[in-house]
Amino acid sequence: MILTKKLMAAALGATFLAAPLAASASEAELLARMEKMSAELEQLKAELKASMQKTNELEKRQQDMATAAAPAAPAVTLPTPVVASVEPSHTGPVTILSGYGEINYNRPTKDASAAQADIRRAVIAIEHRFDEKTKMVSEFEWEHGVVSASDQGESEIEQLYIEREFGGGLRGKVGLFLIPSGLLNTNHEPTAYYGVERNFVETAIIPSTWREVGVGLSGDTDAGLTWDVGVTTGFDLGKWDATSTEGRDSPLGSIHQEGQFAKSRDLAVHGALNWRGIPGLLLGGSIFSGKAGHNTEGFAANDARITLYDLHARYTPGLWDLSALYARGQISNTEALNDTFVGSPTPVPKSFDGWYTQAAYQLLKSGDYTLSPFVRYEQFNTAKSYAFVPQGLGVAPTPDEKVTTVGANLKVGEGVVLKADYQKFKEDKSRDRLNLGMGFAY
Amino acid sequence: MRYQPLLALSACALCAPAFATQYLTAEQAQQAIFPDATTFRPQPLALNAAQMQQVEKLAAMPARSVNWRVVGAYKGDTLLGYMVLDEVTGKFELISYAVGLNPDASVKQVEIMTYRESHGGEIRLPAWRRQFIGKSAVGGGLSIGDGIANISGATLSCTHLTDGIRRIAAVAQVMLKK
Repeated sequence: MILTKKLMAAALGATFLAAPLAASASEAELLARMEKMSAELEQLKAELKASMQKTNELEKRQQDMATAAAPAAPAVTLPTPVVASVEPSHTGPVTILSGYGEINYNRPTKDASAAQADIRRAVIAIEHRFDEKTKMVSEFEWEHGVVSASDQGESEIEQLYIEREFGGGLRGKVGLFLIPSGLLNTNHEPTAYYGVERNFVETAIIPSTWREVGVGLSGDTDAGLTWDVGVTTGFDLGKWDATSTEGRDSPLGSIHQEGQFAKSRDLAVHGALNWRGIPGLLLGGSIFSGKAGHNTEGFAANDARITLYDLHARYTPGLWDLSALYARGQISNTEALNDTFVGSPTPVPKSFDGWYTQAAYQLLKSGDYTLSPFVRYEQFNTAKSYAFVPQGLGVAPTPDEKVTTVGANLKVGEGVVLKADYQKFKEDKSRDRLNLGMGFAY
Repeated sequence: MRYQPLLALSACALCAPAFATQYLTAEQAQQAIFPDATTFRPQPLALNAAQMQQVEKLAAMPARSVNWRVVGAYKGDTLLGYMVLDEVTGKFELISYAVGLNPDASVKQVEIMTYRESHGGEIRLPAWRRQFIGKSAVGGGLSIGDGIANISGATLSCTHLTDGIRRIAAVAQVMLKK
């Protein structure tokens, strides 16, 4: 089949190459040439057929020989079975280029003037395998279209680590890697989640895409348990800006270090457990904890510790995709620091948390197209509580925001997704919006 | 013969120390699938155009390969079944696996021989692989969401592997069924 196709392609190619010449040649010459080519093609076809026949005969003969030899094999007395050496023949490419991207459109329903279209991200990923056990994983990302001193875009390295396999599924990592927290952080391609925007809990509470520099170890057991542990850089509370609202949008997102001259006096530890013992079910949790003051001279919160944990579940029976997640973060010993922020709108919260539950259903599958409507309800609070401050000087904790998202993902093949949804906010109704998005991953 | 260089290469591979990411060699896989077998014989298959079409129809996907690496497992002269060796791409990297088939072309067992991705190694879990046992290309139930449960966080790996197994089940139905 393939050979025939190749021959046809060659013949076609030859025809095209000959075309300019033919234009100046007479029709008769052209016909003669075509006839000659057609004869050659016939000959090639015949040769191919003969060659295929020969191959078939040889294979048949080999099989016959194997069958004939069989009775001679001392089957009963054979202490160990005869080895059939048909080892897999290749190990795959050494350097793999992949990527993903998404472009989103948001239109606040109560203020159409704030409608925006944005290249959320474009990512180029390169993975290189040095040998069977060692590989490098990297992701290079641009956000918001244009990056320059006068633009708002960002250019960043999202992952850059070496992974080494120690056998039996035990793997070690060193470098800049994703913290195994929640469902989305390590699985953040637009084709992997429902809705145009990533959910609020896993952006405002768990600061995805969250990565740290350090070392990590992962493994799994036959019972379906996967574990991850690691020691990495943590957050830098010294970056907290009480005058901006950034800390209100995502407390940890505003003080993450992303491997950029990351302060490392205080390191953090993390651990994650995920169980997939029943097909279709995932139950898991993670914890990350580390001090965030870095013994900085004159800093009022050198004893502050940041701890974030999450519990998550996902169940995919048949065409359903159900998930739920709870995440909670705490920042301790912030009293003295917040005293210095009196009068500012965004002091450091003592706790922040959120949860969501989501149901998606694969409604339609026709050829390459898969339509999955979904609904998600989430509740989150980035300033659930504050450490004690003298009466009248503090900021009141904010109420929980509650968001309902209804929409659908239309997948085209495996790598392309078109999304549309509507988000309704319970507290800040001005944020209600319609979202459209396209995404891809390869 | 088309397989001779492969056989030579395989012999070298067998001498080399086991890969770190390799959980099973072909030899270990055939032992695991057919512990009672006394003899294993390579029985490579080559599909013709008509057979390819049949496979495509049964599997509802491209037949991909003309040639298939098949090993027959025998106890004495009795055929116990077949093992088909194959590779599919997970997310980025190749997953090598072996599908054990009964003489009636139903799936006997699935073994993952090598897995190289950083995530999604959960396809090796016995509970997940057990979902394939007893199913055949004609009986159905060999698709993600229809008989085979997805693995959260390893969607691509488990989808591609399930597709690969369904294709092999179809090849067995067309070529190997007794």
